[in-house]
Amino acid sequence: MKILVAVKQVASLDEDFEMRVDKKDVEEDFLLYDLNEWDDFSLEEAMKIKESSDTEIEVVVVSVGPVRVDESLRKCLAKGADRAIRVWDETIEGSDSIVIGRILAAVAKKEVPDMVFAGVQSSDQAYSSTGISTAAYLDWPHAAVVADLQYKPGSSSAVIRRELEGGMLQEVEINCPAVLTIQLGINKPRYASLRGIKQAAAKPIEEISLADIGLSPADVGAGSSMSRVRRMYIPAKSRAQMIEGTIVEQVAKLIQIINEFKGA
Amino acid sequence: MNNPKEVTRILFENFHPQAIHLFYAFGYAAIAVFIYGCYVQIRKYRRGKPDGSWGELLHRFIDMVKTMVTHRTLVRRDKSAGRAHGLIFLGFVLLFIGTSIITLEYDIIEPLIGVRFWYGNFYLWFSLVLDLAGLGLIGGLIYMMYRRKWLHLPKLDYKRVDRQLGDADFDRSEYRLEDWAFLWSFILIGVTGFILEATRLVWLSGRPSVWDYRMWSPVGALIANIMQTIGVTPEGAGALRSGLWWFHGLLSLTFIAFIPYTKIKHIFTAAASLMFKDPLAGRRLPRVPDEQKVAGYKTITDLTWKNLLHLDACTKCGRCQEACPANAVGAPLSPRDVILSLREFANHTLNAKELPKEAELDIHGKDIGQVFMETLWSCRTCLACVEICPVAIEHVPLIVQMRRNLVEAGEMDPLLEKTLQTIHKTGNSFGESKRKRASWVKALPFEIKDARIEAVDYLWFVGDYASFDPRNQKVTQGFARIMQKAGVDFGLLFEGELNAGNDIRRVGEEGLYEYLATANIQSLDDCEFKSIVTTDPHSYNTIRNEYPDFGGTYEIQHYSTVVKKLIEDGRLQLAKKLNYKVTFHDPCHLGRFNKGYDAPRDILKMLGCELIEMGRTKDNSFCCGAGGGRIWIPDPVGTEKPSQNRMKEAAIIEGLEVFVVSCPKDLTMFEDALKTSGYEGKFIVRELIELIDECMEYDFPEKEVFADVLSLEPHLAS
Ligand code: SF4
Ligand code: SF4
Repeated sequence: MKILVAVKQVASLDEDFEMRVDKKDVEEDFLLYDLNEWDDFSLEEAMKIKESSDTEIEVVVVSVGPVRVDESLRKCLAKGADRAIRVWDETIEGSDSIVIGRILAAVAKKEVPDMVFAGVQSSDQAYSSTGISTAAYLDWPHAAVVADLQYKPGSSSAVIRRELEGGMLQEVEINCPAVLTIQLGINKPRYASLRGIKQAAAKPIEEISLADIGLSPADVGAGSSMSRVRRMYIPAKSRAQMIEGTIVEQVAKLIQIINEFKGA
Repeated sequence: MNNPKEVTRILFENFHPQAIHLFYAFGYAAIAVFIYGCYVQIRKYRRGKPDGSWGELLHRFIDMVKTMVTHRTLVRRDKSAGRAHGLIFLGFVLLFIGTSIITLEYDIIEPLIGVRFWYGNFYLWFSLVLDLAGLGLIGGLIYMMYRRKWLHLPKLDYKRVDRQLGDADFDRSEYRLEDWAFLWSFILIGVTGFILEATRLVWLSGRPSVWDYRMWSPVGALIANIMQTIGVTPEGAGALRSGLWWFHGLLSLTFIAFIPYTKIKHIFTAAASLMFKDPLAGRRLPRVPDEQKVAGYKTITDLTWKNLLHLDACTKCGRCQEACPANAVGAPLSPRDVILSLREFANHTLNAKELPKEAELDIHGKDIGQVFMETLWSCRTCLACVEICPVAIEHVPLIVQMRRNLVEAGEMDPLLEKTLQTIHKTGNSFGESKRKRASWVKALPFEIKDARIEAVDYLWFVGDYASFDPRNQKVTQGFARIMQKAGVDFGLLFEGELNAGNDIRRVGEEGLYEYLATANIQSLDDCEFKSIVTTDPHSYNTIRNEYPDFGGTYEIQHYSTVVKKLIEDGRLQLAKKLNYKVTFHDPCHLGRFNKGYDAPRDILKMLGCELIEMGRTKDNSFCCGAGGGRIWIPDPVGTEKPSQNRMKEAAIIEGLEVFVVSCPKDLTMFEDALKTSGYEGKFIVRELIELIDECMEYDFPEKEVFADVLSLEPHLAS
């Protein structure tokens, strides 16, 4: 029995960042990388199933990305994942989330898991589509925004609760194997202590290439994607200002601002 | 003098040989029970892990003897109890030596080589000394009884703060019973000893070699006189004597047999604990070996033999509890209870012949003898307990070791967990960009050197709070001005500096600490400097005491020492005097941890301030509550915070103007507490640097700091 957890190393912005010369992204130097918050929850959900089951369950984490991603994979290993796989090839650069889904599906075909978990979305790009496209390429059932999961390893279906708008929950029975995208708050992710992460360095991370999963450079990259980033920028800020003081002072200030705005 | 050989103590005169044999049989039995008890205890200690505190045994021994003879740790903060204990101790030691001398002669030397020495003048002096020793012993014991019965000291109340009424181990009345049983049996031994002496005198009042020398045992003589006055005849005394003799003898033997099984064992365990005292306990925490699978203490057998010994050394005196800031504000922590819980747990599990199953050795949990996670997280690692413990018990390393295990298991406050992750990611607890670490320098009218690219005399390790906290940045800028004014050659690591790790280590995140410490050591090693200076006592402690374990040995000074020297050498001119009435709060990590009590006080004097000490000061300073990572864990609402408790203490000082601190975290904690405890407007909280800064006259042009900051951050509303 095996659960495949797809994870992503996400970027967050450092103070005073600069854009890349091609204006399509932030200069890498100004990015701080960490494991996507949603993935903490999907890994924890897999670990919970593993730890409460009497049958042997293997939790495998997989990520698509360059060497720096190993750090995040190691964190997953420290939290108890059995194996970690990283897929990379220079040509993957520029792929959209659908292509990433295709790669993940190819890994799943090779690994033959009983369940695939992914986060609802990534905190940096927020496409919310990687998990879903993985399901599409696998031709598996899928459920998004899963806030509760009841699943007995090995059974042919699982009962999940999906989070809808307005605090509503939708209870769904889904056939397995399936791809679930896991929502924040479904559990309490464990802490990966630094010693744990260090010790996890002893566990190998399998690096696999496109060929290993039966894909070729033609299947990936910006060229094969259905969408491409054109530019990334900060929109001009609308200037809002809090006017303080007594009512009279505020009105006076307001008149002054209106006059300034008119160019008077 | 009569024939001196006859002037000696009558031992077994008039005893039937069988009675003597019976007595010896009891004696041997008592010794056997005693030895077995010791064996069980030693077997228990040997079930612990090894400890590095060996070495320099002679030095340790001398130190221990000094401490014991002077009773210096016992008279601290409780003179009467210390002195009373001194009397009991001295009485016991002398009486023990006395009895040993008798045994030596009667049972060993005389039968073997036929030599006697216990007679004549030696005997008389011996007799006098022992009489006085006995008197002291009884006096001390009476005071202890009085203290327990009538003084109602909170520290002698064994009720637990971490358990509820109704919990099996809540009130610990068995300890109280044991205390009283100990006091009564001890005092009975002493009193019957004197009466026995008196009956002997009355009984042999016709024998000059006894009666003529009675004044050498004055207490016995006095009682003998009283006996005679009330009409006790020599025969009556003789009869009384044999009964009493057996009572006294058997009681004493029982007492000895009981030593390893009762609190009396502290005679040995406390001595051993003092002997293996680690002067850096809590200041430098133990490393976790790389190959060790899980960090910290999970089971009782994870403790070292020395930890286990500490558990048995505790005399329940309650001084640690009395000094504990967490306890003072009602947190579910008493350092004594941590020790006693574990002691009960160890006795329960490790005294048996076979070691119980692993699962039964878990010291974390909610059962009897287990330590609650809330208890461990309440500790501020302020070292007040370690400082005052008269028998050198090291609570803090033990607490941190247990926390390490909680951290590994992720059993901690969610906010703390977030902070640890933030520190791992950004290298600081504020979650700010590394690049912003030195942004406070922008407001200065001069440049500060980058110690990573040029050599400096002083490398200034700034620390997180002083770097990122807006209020503390002002202080930090003040210190920069002072250093610049004095013409000191100094520089910073800028974004090369990471959180020093002191508090992270005390939280128990050893892996993260190692990461931070090694990274900082690498940065420091790449720089050329003579000494490190810091305004942050937390960084100061870990760099000074703990970095050497990771290969980073540097000279480091707290700013107070540096500034004091600059003023003394005339390199810093004070342009004016402040005649504020101030009090000074010793930061734990500067004062208790590193004994930096004097420099800040000297500076205050130089500035012209009138310093009024608070009740709890210097080694008894009261933690602001921020230590041990507690600054990242919110205090429960509705309860008093240690910092508020401290404000109350300061407010007692009539006419107090400034509450002076010299630690960035203190400034944050106390300025907040000043407001929340309702003393705002009565006095103010200032960092010592700000007072020094106030006395300076700077010649460099001040930049318009505020306009600058405001134009960068317009008030935005969406
Ligand atoms: S270190 Fe301070 S807070 Fe912790 S137990 Fe000791 S006295 Fe209490
Ligand atoms: S730990 Fe030390 S200070 Fe605390 S009660 Fe025991 S002997 Fe006293």
